[in-house]
Amino acid sequence: MMSLPFLLFACGLGAAWLRQRGAAMGFWVAGLVTLLVLFRLHMTDVLNIAL
Amino acid sequence: MPSEVLRLLNALGLVAVDTVLLLAFADQLWFHDLPCPLCVLQRAGFVAAGFGLALNLIFGPRPSHYGVLILGASAGAVVAMRQTLLHIVPGSGAYGLPFLGLHLYTWAFILFAAMIVGAAVLLFADRQFGRPEPWSQRLSLLPLTAIVAFALLIVGNFVSTLLLCGLGFCPDNPTEYLLTG
Repeated sequence: MMSLPFLLFACGLGAAWLRQRGAAMGFWVAGLVTLLVLFRLHMTDVLNIAL
Repeated sequence: MPSEVLRLLNALGLVAVDTVLLLAFADQLWFHDLPCPLCVLQRAGFVAAGFGLALNLIFGPRPSHYGVLILGASAGAVVAMRQTLLHIVPGSGAYGLPFLGLHLYTWAFILFAAMIVGAAVLLFADRQFGRPEPWSQRLSLLPLTAIVAFALLIVGNFVSTLLLCGLGFCPDNPTEYLLTG
């Protein structure tokens, strides 16, 4: 699961190398969304700070 | 700013991202400092940001590629800031050993911020977007090396994270590789 962003970014870079810019951007968006979802799932502790 | 200078700056930026990812690997492999889940996500943030530089080198400069760089660096910065705030109160512990007085997640936040500022500065060079042909038609050694190294480091991080965490979530404080023990 945690390796998924790297897989998506690797696919995106491969698509870019093959001149498929739309596919590359699509893989990048999917990778970024996956990164943010995984980050949200890991935010389990409340920050001990006062803002 | 001449387009060749901009091309060189993009290539050097990608070399810098490669260097960060390589140093993270060195810390992991030589000092057995296994990356925590947030550390893995910060590495992914560097990849997401570096992707914009790679797109610039392959397709030629476009504002959307700098957008990729800025959004990727912003996502990484959010993760790095979260980890910094987790440990910012004295006595609340830390993860890993400090480097030049700062922990790696603090360095990561500084680097992500620098990437955002750097992208904003490069966006001021309006004439780069009027080039008719992509730079990659004349990919020289430095951009090509930077892109190949970037690809290898992405695959390396994929394999490393798979070995470390398996198909699920990473443990908060990993002490061994889940798949290999």
